[in-house]
Amino acid sequence: MTTSRAISKIEELIPQRSPIMMVDELLEVVGDECTCRLVVREDNFFLEEDGMMAEPGVIEHIAQSASAFAGYRAVADGATEPPVGYIGEVKNFRLNRRPRLGDVLDTTICMGATVGGVTIITGTTLAGQETIAETQMKIFVRED
Amino acid sequence: MSEERAEGLSAKFHLAILPECTVYNGHFPGDPVCPGVCNIETIKECAILLAGEQLRYSAIRQCRLTALATPTVCPEVDVQIVLSPAANGYGVQATISDEKQTYMILKGQLDKA
Repeated sequence: MTTSRAISKIEELIPQRSPIMMVDELLEVVGDECTCRLVVREDNFFLEEDGMMAEPGVIEHIAQSASAFAGYRAVADGATEPPVGYIGEVKNFRLNRRPRLGDVLDTTICMGATVGGVTIITGTTLAGQETIAETQMKIFVRED
Repeated sequence: MSEERAEGLSAKFHLAILPECTVYNGHFPGDPVCPGVCNIETIKECAILLAGEQLRYSAIRQCRLTALATPTVCPEVDVQIVLSPAANGYGVQATISDEKQTYMILKGQLDKA
């Protein structure tokens, strides 16, 4: 069991860079769960003209939250570079509303089993107390 | 981009993946890979052209990313879309593929915006 806060710079945990960084920080890790945060700012890659985030941006935020969790574990195991992962499947994604400019998104990732390099995760994204989105995903981690 | 319409609400779109898109600066530096979510957005934008009205995803039942898409691997792809009328918009079934392989298979719900 690990609990920690203000864990690392996010660039040390995920391989994505501007303009498509969709996690600001990994807030907390507790066992097989972590929580990541993204503030929706004006320069967000997925922000649309009406000040709302396009739906795929929420999926990317959840995927990068899982990536940050994988990066946290890899760094703890001595890795010097964050692992590169790809979305293999999105399943049962439900979006209640698009995030809007200024929203603080807190996403909880529950990391499931890894079989053959594929990890099953569930993600839930809140803005305050409001559930924005939920999904399951399969993530492939590239073996270099 | 070109578009071939079939009977009813189905169509095949042919589009180019542009290697100069800024997204590749960050996904990933020195290793351009099409973000799967951008392909999900592409399917929506094709569906909007097909339906002739603004649509947004409310749900994705299943989206399988069956091969890695990059501007080098697949500089041009076909997007095949079928829209079925549903309560608040359309059910959508779509694939992204080229002559070599299929990159994405999606089943979801697009609501009228």
